[in-house]
Amino acid sequence: MKFSLAWLRDYIDVPQIGREKSGVATDAEVAQVKELFQRLTFAGLNVEDWELSGEDFSDVLLDVEVTTNRPDCMNHFGLAREISVVYDRPLRQPPAAPAEDEERTADAARIVIEDYEGCPRFAARVVRGVQVGPSPDWLRRRLESIGQRSINNVVDVTNFVLWELGQPLHAYDLAKVAGGMLVARRARTGERLVTLDGQERALGPEILVIADAERPVGLAGVMGGLESEVTEATRDVLIEGAHFDRRAVRITGKRFGLHTDAKHRFERGADPGACAEAVSRAALLITEVAGGTVLAGAIDVRDETRDWTRRGCLDLAKLDSFAGASMDPADAERWLTGLGFGVDRASGNGVWNVTVPSWRYYDFQPRPGPPHEVYPQDLYEEVIRIHGFDRIPAALPAIPGADAPRPENQSRRERLRRQLAASGYAETVHFAFLDPARDASFPSLQPEAKPIRLTNPLSEQYSVLRRSLAPNLVETARFNQRRGLAAVRIFEIATVFFETAEGALPDQPEHVGLVCGGTLGSPWEREVELDLFDLKGAVDGLADAFGVRLEARPADLPGLLAGNAAELLREGKVVGWFGRIEEEEGYPFFAAELETEALAGGELSLEVNLPSRFPGISADFTLTHALDTPWAEIDRAIAEQAPPELVSWRLKVRYRGSGVPEGAVNTTISFEYNARERSLTQEEVNALQLGLNEKLTARFGWKG
Amino acid sequence: MSAVGESQASAWLDHWVQEFEAAARQIHSRADWENLRVHWVGRKQGLLRELLDEIKKKDPAQRRSYGEDVNRLKEHVEHRLAELDAEIATCEREAARRAAAVDVTLPGRRPNLGSIHPVSLVIREMEQIFAEMGYSVAEGPEVEDDYHNFEALNFPPDHPARDTQDTFFVEGGLLLRTHTSPVQIRTMLARKPPIRVICPGRVYRNDNDLRHSPMFHQVEGLAVAEGITVGHLKGTLLAFMRRLFAPDVEIRLRPSFFPFTEPSAEMDVTCQACKGKGCAVCSGTGWMEILGCGMVDPHVLAGCGIDPDIYSGFAFGMGVDRVAMNRYGIPNIRLLFDNDERLLRQVRG
Repeated sequence: MKFSLAWLRDYIDVPQIGREKSGVATDAEVAQVKELFQRLTFAGLNVEDWELSGEDFSDVLLDVEVTTNRPDCMNHFGLAREISVVYDRPLRQPPAAPAEDEERTADAARIVIEDYEGCPRFAARVVRGVQVGPSPDWLRRRLESIGQRSINNVVDVTNFVLWELGQPLHAYDLAKVAGGMLVARRARTGERLVTLDGQERALGPEILVIADAERPVGLAGVMGGLESEVTEATRDVLIEGAHFDRRAVRITGKRFGLHTDAKHRFERGADPGACAEAVSRAALLITEVAGGTVLAGAIDVRDETRDWTRRGCLDLAKLDSFAGASMDPADAERWLTGLGFGVDRASGNGVWNVTVPSWRYYDFQPRPGPPHEVYPQDLYEEVIRIHGFDRIPAALPAIPGADAPRPENQSRRERLRRQLAASGYAETVHFAFLDPARDASFPSLQPEAKPIRLTNPLSEQYSVLRRSLAPNLVETARFNQRRGLAAVRIFEIATVFFETAEGALPDQPEHVGLVCGGTLGSPWEREVELDLFDLKGAVDGLADAFGVRLEARPADLPGLLAGNAAELLREGKVVGWFGRIEEEEGYPFFAAELETEALAGGELSLEVNLPSRFPGISADFTLTHALDTPWAEIDRAIAEQAPPELVSWRLKVRYRGSGVPEGAVNTTISFEYNARERSLTQEEVNALQLGLNEKLTARFGWKG
Repeated sequence: MSAVGESQASAWLDHWVQEFEAAARQIHSRADWENLRVHWVGRKQGLLRELLDEIKKKDPAQRRSYGEDVNRLKEHVEHRLAELDAEIATCEREAARRAAAVDVTLPGRRPNLGSIHPVSLVIREMEQIFAEMGYSVAEGPEVEDDYHNFEALNFPPDHPARDTQDTFFVEGGLLLRTHTSPVQIRTMLARKPPIRVICPGRVYRNDNDLRHSPMFHQVEGLAVAEGITVGHLKGTLLAFMRRLFAPDVEIRLRPSFFPFTEPSAEMDVTCQACKGKGCAVCSGTGWMEILGCGMVDPHVLAGCGIDPDIYSGFAFGMGVDRVAMNRYGIPNIRLLFDNDERLLRQVRG
């Protein structure tokens, strides 16, 4: 938000620039100004930027980040108040007592509030006999110094007061206000209003308006109407200074997509105590720049039941123990008073009764229950920010022990990540949203759950939450392939989203996804052409590491090449899948996905199996069997038939080609025999192996 | 030639030494050497034995000097044979080495290691720093409801503070969490103080340009107990920053506003690019804005069933992605999520 240093000087003595020689800022001046900005920043009003400005560079334009809780600082007087506290200098209140005519305002105009919730206060003044025309230089310059456009003297005054005191005002041509009457009410269905920007707006009961005796003349707190605006023909001016409910203003703004300076303040919470003073200030200024006379008395209609004063208690000892530093009570009192707080030290035991100024009303939310005092932390904040965080010593809290043991899923995720990185896969991170078409073209572990849509996506391309990690991983694999990588191996561990009941939080399990493909290494590095079993090996490695058994069951799955895909089962439940990606451009990709929960609760015995001290004997056997006999069955049969001396067995070679009948395959298996307490003889092993071979051949052997 | 270096060396001795040396020059292998040895000092038919035997045919007066000559010759031959033996052994070793040699400067076959994402590495480091201070890690859902993401954090309905969050809404009245603060709420609702947790995770904001990614990562922290002070907030963050960056970094807190903390502050840390001297990265200030923090707002505590008149707490939240970019020299947040393997595989933990 823009502020002019010269304008601030109307209310507070602040450093000046270019004082001695017009257009030349001395180093000392710049240093002073910089110090001011530094001190404001460290009191909570962050001066983000500043530059020399004005016709002769004798002004400074400040850009201050005013947080949403401080609408009271969105004007020059409010910012000056902060400076007055930080520098302990007096503040000059702008005059707001115009000379008044004999005619009473109440006889010339009438204000009615129908909706007290939307408009709890409405003040007004009338200035008769104005001469509308260009603004005088000083007024034009003030507005232009902060980037505001000058319109005419009367409108400029209302704008000036907004940027001076923060109260949004509106000036009406009294002659065009039917019945000389303004009503704050809800719009009626079917009512229409052409606003100042020339747009015609259809209104309804959700819109708070200002109306005259006949029709709406303004969107309350957002924008005035075109018809009743002040023009060069205007003689009598009716000035509105009202307080509007934050929500009502926000709804109107949202509905019409309007954001104005008035709305910006009302939706953050304007000062409910400033209405009457602001219209009087404006009336005074109008007579100065446009002539005319101010009618007697300000109209001030208000909800008398509303109390705009918040109260609270400040216990100095508790302030110190909250801050972790010792605060000087005299400083605290001076700061609070300077900021407009009422401080009553009556109780005398270091506990102050504090009242909050009306311009901070909305920033001080009371406790939920009676007596609805504000929390003392609200008051501590004011003292601490002026005191400065830098003066509070750093310390470490003394809480013994650790907070809580690490949950199992966190350790599991970390192990999973390390294991995959150690297996050669690079971790990736993708957005959670993607194209619905891509989402639908890969397997989902909950196929019946529909994808969850964003209501305001970046674009259709990012409009549903992913149900699988595969679409993004495959796209990234393709991206890397196109960039010329000979091999791709990537993984991601992330949340996927499945719809549950309407309005309930979705099911959000964590998955791990892997994709690989291409040729790894050069001939020197004994290159490997990655295939489905390299991928499956990574998955099997995970199962081994976590002590769980995952079974592969052939399945037809979307996006995967038929006959090259499987579901992964743990204890009969589908917990993942793997397969060859159907869409191919260069080398093929292989993908797998698994619920990380499927790796939980495995049987991980820390105890080792002591190997025999005696040498073992190995034997190979080649079984010729039908192509469609799964290895898993042969494997299971060996396990069932295994004599105690058979320690392990593994697949050695799969061979199809010359010498192997069509429709069959040669599977060579290596068997390892050993005994715990003695050396086996070759004859013993031969006999054991022969027995096994016969059983396997009988069950699986090729019968042509 | 020490054996024949004497002045009285006879012509006889000279002759035989020359003879031996001529034969020695013809030696190229172990077999040659063996033949030479057998020829000269072989026990049965060795030349030296024959020459010694000839002493019997000599004139007795000459016998003595002849015997000395033969002994000198013997010494010479034995000495030279030993020398030649060593030379041949050296040659043999050299030949064997040459035959077996490999170019040891050829590249080794490295194990096929993968890599961990820079953001994961930074989060892990932060978790470790806070684990040492006794914190545990709390996690929560990414699709959240309004209550946990906003209402319980003291964002009033229809308040402009919500506008700053650029929320992605999800059908069914839900949303993608805009910060990991809802995890703080879930933790406070589920547990009693003392609480010390950090909440890392993915968060989402409807903001997509060169400097912003619609998905990014936060680590938030929360400590609630009796007697937690603003000084504790400062001390904890200072300890954190010194472990994360360097033992000599400084921090400063600028008052700010967040609905869920009071007082609130933005925290700056000594600029890591210039070590506080002022540079283009920090716009000459010497400071980097790195996190938001504050004392947990009493409304938030009360809403979670924690009595703000007894307990106090601090909270902070920071973006992880910028720290990762800073650490690994990645200039643009988009590159962090491009997932270019050529970049990812260079990252070392």
